[in-house]
Amino acid sequence: MIRTTSIKNGNFLERSALSALSFVKNATLYEEFAVNKGFLQSLEPRIKTIVFLFFLITAVCLKSAIFIALLYLLCLTLAFCSGVPIIFFLVRTWVFIPIFSLCIVIPSLFSFVSGGQAIASFHALGIKFIITRQGLDGAVLFVARIATSVSLVVLLSLTTRHGELLKVLRNFKVPQVFVLTVSMCYRYLYLFAVIIENIFIAIKSRVGIVSHHGKGQHIVAWNIANTYNKSTQLSEDVYKAMLSRGYSGEPRLLEKFHPQLKDWFCLIGSVIVSACLFYMELRK
Amino acid sequence: MNDRIFKLTDVQYSYLGKYPALRDINMTIRKGEQVALIGSNGTGKSTLLHILDGLIFPDRGEVIALGQTLNEDYLSDEKNAHLFRSKVGLVFQNADIQLFCPSVKEDIVFGPLQLGFNDKIIADRLAQVLEILEIGHLLERIPHQLSIGEKRKVAIASVLAIDPEIIIFDEPTAGLDPLTVRHIVDFIVKAKQKGKTIITATHDLHIVGEIADTVYLFGKDKRIIKQGPAEKILEDKILLQENNLIHIHGHSHTGFTHAHPHLPTEKHSN
Repeated sequence: MIRTTSIKNGNFLERSALSALSFVKNATLYEEFAVNKGFLQSLEPRIKTIVFLFFLITAVCLKSAIFIALLYLLCLTLAFCSGVPIIFFLVRTWVFIPIFSLCIVIPSLFSFVSGGQAIASFHALGIKFIITRQGLDGAVLFVARIATSVSLVVLLSLTTRHGELLKVLRNFKVPQVFVLTVSMCYRYLYLFAVIIENIFIAIKSRVGIVSHHGKGQHIVAWNIANTYNKSTQLSEDVYKAMLSRGYSGEPRLLEKFHPQLKDWFCLIGSVIVSACLFYMELRK
Repeated sequence: MNDRIFKLTDVQYSYLGKYPALRDINMTIRKGEQVALIGSNGTGKSTLLHILDGLIFPDRGEVIALGQTLNEDYLSDEKNAHLFRSKVGLVFQNADIQLFCPSVKEDIVFGPLQLGFNDKIIADRLAQVLEILEIGHLLERIPHQLSIGEKRKVAIASVLAIDPEIIIFDEPTAGLDPLTVRHIVDFIVKAKQKGKTIITATHDLHIVGEIADTVYLFGKDKRIIKQGPAEKILEDKILLQENNLIHIHGHSHTGFTHAHPHLPTEKHSN
């Protein structure tokens, strides 16, 4: 993990900027689990993506929180079998999106949004709040769906190298030039994160932590212009480097995917699991 | 002459039409020749290398490459471009520019893939360059995770995988530690022994004697000041000093301090 310089006494914007840069750098470098030897890592990326797509569709279409929870348990089991630490995985998947969705869904718990059978009530600010069964069921289903979907996507990205994930797009008939462009953007995000961080440190070494509000705006504007110029120059240079090695407008990329018997079994297994969950839900 | 690879006549180039980068460049590079372009920063060496690689084209003058006039018209034909790119390879000064793929392996095979080499040739070339440059352990790494020296080696590998007859190096040893410099110089010497035509831009005079037979000295006015055999140019201390390539500096030996210009060709005496 890369840590940017910690600034205990820095202001909110400064800390946010450095945290954002740190996030970009970590996100582009984080392939620790993707290169491990584990169950999901051993699967062919295309098949793995289709398996996860099946599970995602299942999570979205199931109407019972219990069966979605079963799918979530399967997701955790897959994470465990792939050497992804469960605590790390839970923190990574629950911190943002599911917690925010929980906040969004809170009003629907109450009778003034979802009418129905009351199961609990309380008074606050002189108002009586009634939680309804229908409201609670809806909220649980909503959060379960989001948590499971996010967990599946995070698990896929944690156990697959970014470059391979991008190349999987080719199999969905995304043009090679788009795949190449996205992978190059991804490649240079890190470079620009480092450049911006270095510029920031260089400015700080000359002007100190505190700068006048107007001066600060001036520095930020100059920084944006400077980074824009650098990115323009970089794009020209990279294009020259591509031309120099024979690029002629339509890129050809390395495709090295070869599905094994195990991959096909896994694909069939995912279809069976999804079908069983739908069947059990229908029988319920 | 059949063995003439490049012939430049009165070449001029300027950036944005107003900042001169090269003036009145005349040179001939023959097959199997090892050429060094030396000069201080901003003398137009890199610009000339880009012209030789057909990435930019002169404002005035003519460049003949492999018997053909090298211009936009010539390279806009896919067959010509394919032929030229498979014969001329450029290792850029900034390896981050050259390594734009998500993994080292993809960067190395990018050139052969674009040039339409078949899978077997690509696999063979990959195995060869990994062995020559001893970078097999880096194959699945992401380029931005590598050290500068490793990046430089991968950049060389990405050009070498095309197996070009002419290899152009832009400051191959800049910013590298002494051991990596040695590896790269050794590699250039081996390529020289294999009969490749090698053109190197550098201001590291310590390597010039090993990697080049002919030296072109570029001056601040963007012109070639002098050309000739490497040893003859490197002996001309006054000329090198006038062009910021050597400087007099004081240093200590056991017991005493003195000052003199350091040259790669001379032995250090007390």
